[in-house]
Amino acid sequence: MAGQGDAAAPIAAAREKVATPGASLARASRESRLGPPASLVWLLLPRLLAARNALRRGRMRPLVLGTLTLGFWAGTFFAFERTLAYFQSLAAIGPILTQRLLFLLFLSFFGVLLLSNVVTALTTFYRAADVNLLLAAPVDFRRLHLARFVETLATSSWMVLLFGLPAFLAYGVVYRAGPEFYAGTLAALVPFLVIPAAIGVMVTTAIVLIFPARGARDAMLLASGVLSALAYVAFRLLRPERLASPTGLAGFAAFLADIGEPSPYLPTTWAGEVLLPLLRARPGEPLFHLALLASTAGVLYLASAAVVERLFLIAWSRAQQGRFRGARERPLSRWLARLTRPLPHAPRLILTKDLTVFLRDAGQWSQLVLLLALIVVYVYNFTALPIDDGSPLAATIREVASFCNLGLAAFVVTSVAVRFVYPSISLEGRSWWVLRSAPVRLTTIWWSKFWIAFLPLAGLGEVLIVLTDHFLGVSTTLTLVFMATLLPTIAAVVSLGLAFGAAYPNFDSQNPAQIATSFGAVIYMVTSLGLIAAIVAMLAWPISRVFWHAIARPPIGDREIAASGLAFLAAASLTAAAFELARRAALRSMAQLQP
Amino acid sequence: MIRFVKLRKSFGALRAVDDLDFAIETGEVFGFLGRNGAGKTTTIRMMMGLLAPTSGTVILGGHDIRREPEAAKALAGFLPDHPFLYDRLTGEELLRFVGGLYRVDRRELDRRTHELLEEFGLEPRAGELIETYSHGMKQRLALAAALVHRPRLLVLDEPMVGMDPQGALALRRRLGDLAASGVTIFLSTHSLDVAEELCGRIGIIDRGRLIALGSLEELRREHVSPSPAANGLSLEEVFLGFTGTAGIVA
Repeated sequence: MAGQGDAAAPIAAAREKVATPGASLARASRESRLGPPASLVWLLLPRLLAARNALRRGRMRPLVLGTLTLGFWAGTFFAFERTLAYFQSLAAIGPILTQRLLFLLFLSFFGVLLLSNVVTALTTFYRAADVNLLLAAPVDFRRLHLARFVETLATSSWMVLLFGLPAFLAYGVVYRAGPEFYAGTLAALVPFLVIPAAIGVMVTTAIVLIFPARGARDAMLLASGVLSALAYVAFRLLRPERLASPTGLAGFAAFLADIGEPSPYLPTTWAGEVLLPLLRARPGEPLFHLALLASTAGVLYLASAAVVERLFLIAWSRAQQGRFRGARERPLSRWLARLTRPLPHAPRLILTKDLTVFLRDAGQWSQLVLLLALIVVYVYNFTALPIDDGSPLAATIREVASFCNLGLAAFVVTSVAVRFVYPSISLEGRSWWVLRSAPVRLTTIWWSKFWIAFLPLAGLGEVLIVLTDHFLGVSTTLTLVFMATLLPTIAAVVSLGLAFGAAYPNFDSQNPAQIATSFGAVIYMVTSLGLIAAIVAMLAWPISRVFWHAIARPPIGDREIAASGLAFLAAASLTAAAFELARRAALRSMAQLQP
Repeated sequence: MIRFVKLRKSFGALRAVDDLDFAIETGEVFGFLGRNGAGKTTTIRMMMGLLAPTSGTVILGGHDIRREPEAAKALAGFLPDHPFLYDRLTGEELLRFVGGLYRVDRRELDRRTHELLEEFGLEPRAGELIETYSHGMKQRLALAAALVHRPRLLVLDEPMVGMDPQGALALRRRLGDLAASGVTIFLSTHSLDVAEELCGRIGIIDRGRLIALGSLEELRREHVSPSPAANGLSLEEVFLGFTGTAGIVA
């Protein structure tokens, strides 16, 4: 019997095991083989490590970016501090204006965050290459959602940190708020950021389910470009420069006062309602509104998790479909080939290829739309300049403004070059081998890239000078002098763009806007601006002599003429040196490129 | 057709390619074998002018790749190990672009483009963007691009990777035809059966150094074992004999 009893024990144990509920057994079995499910930190680890490695790689990079960010923060802080201090001086309507400005701020952030989250979620959820890896790994959709959600949130929300933190700090300083305001700001910002991220994830999933990812991405990129351009132009048409004068601030105050009461159903209103009582600007229920924000954020987060959990695989599968355009693609390159026929052989081929690729890239189109907005606003600025008051000095002011305009036009061209010239080497991408293994000289490739960039930029710069000088009423002779001066400056700026683009290539990104905001692009921008400033400084004195001679007719001596000639020569030499040194540096870097 | 002259490439302390010095005759099909990281791709990149050697050079058809890169490159067609192509061009546009870079006459390019697209089974999708192509289609398109200017030398780095069995078979036949027509082929591959079938001579590179060079018979006879039993060894066995079996998981 004893033997029977011994035999029964393992059987009972086995029965006990069999009786264990299936789910628990499966979980226990899975955990015993695979360990616990991957944590959020684990899933974000590749991004965190990549960021750490990037910081380790170059010490200059965080230093330069940190300095620029601090400078921007300081500027934003002082602008808000000044505006809020003015509002405080208006005893009767001050609190109302503060309140309206805060709501406006949150409303603006929310709009931009919505758009930004939709575009970012498309990349993080449906276009990132490592999603394949996560799908193949034992990671459930809920965790995948959490990891990608955090990434989307962080990527999309930096703008709020950049613009918002100094603004909120200004509120705290001006209103001498206690620590509860700063704690309340942080507490309100978290759900405030989560809400558009959750909506963005759901909207993106819906868009991907309807359109293939490439089409969706193109449409969203174009839409974001158009919306940003419209917002930019609209902002400019509000003439924010009026804020610089007391009467202007009064006008802005009147504008704010005209805005109606914000809707009580919007998260932007709730966020404002959390902060205003903490500023002691007016009584309210900050905890109630914080609870509204937090619960809405929680519900929307769970809804986005549920959507991703149920629909991700279907949407992901849809996202893998490319565009099938068939024979419709052909006419573009044929038309371009005919158009470029007069050019030499290799530049013609490279130009046709670059333009074909460019025109099929929605990212570039959105950049073009933004560029158009930039130019419209730039030219508009000159029509709005208050210089034609009929005073005797008006003519001089016009001439001085036109001289500054030389530097400004070069600055606008540089801004465009950062978007289009700097990324041009990176956008060759991993296909660089096609050009490099072909019997084409590196200098030919460089010159092709140079002319492709220089001709439209020179056209743009010259048109800007002609238009703005026309609005300023500048003489034809001076306009011609400025046009002649701008051409070599643009050549040097383009050459610098190719040099920095080749020295800091980014072959992983296909998004020119992303490449244009990289470290190398910032260095390029700063270097180009330094060059433009130096050229303008060198020419300032001789041109001012010409101005005064035209007005007061003071005699210009031989020594002054010689000094003016030297100044022009120095500016020309500097431009030529920048062009040639950059060209050589670009060729050296291009020879070393190993995508 | 190809002459490596004391070719060397160092990356810091690492000597990736170490004094390669040998020649490949016109019309020869040469198999370039080695383990991962042995220096095959670095050698090929230097050969095609994509990477500057630390010292030495490669002479293609009498043209020094360092001194006359355009003349040397004009002779060769190249298929890299990862043939990234311009995603926003169509297959046909890519072939026309590459043909243009090699200055193929316009009429000949028209004819050649359609011929190659048809031969590689890409004609039905010729007007679609390359981003919509599968990996195998991109591989076939890159090979077509390497052939568009009728090169006298074909440099192929792992051409079989990603190809389906039909594509791989077609490629083997095509390489056989090209070799028969006198085209020199430099083939870097891990597909030892392909190398055994096609290559007249084989070079084995290990840690940057050429450790074996000759026909399969010569490698069997001179480097592995002089015994008659060595005659039946496959290229795989010969290769493992030279490079060792370290890294093989049982």
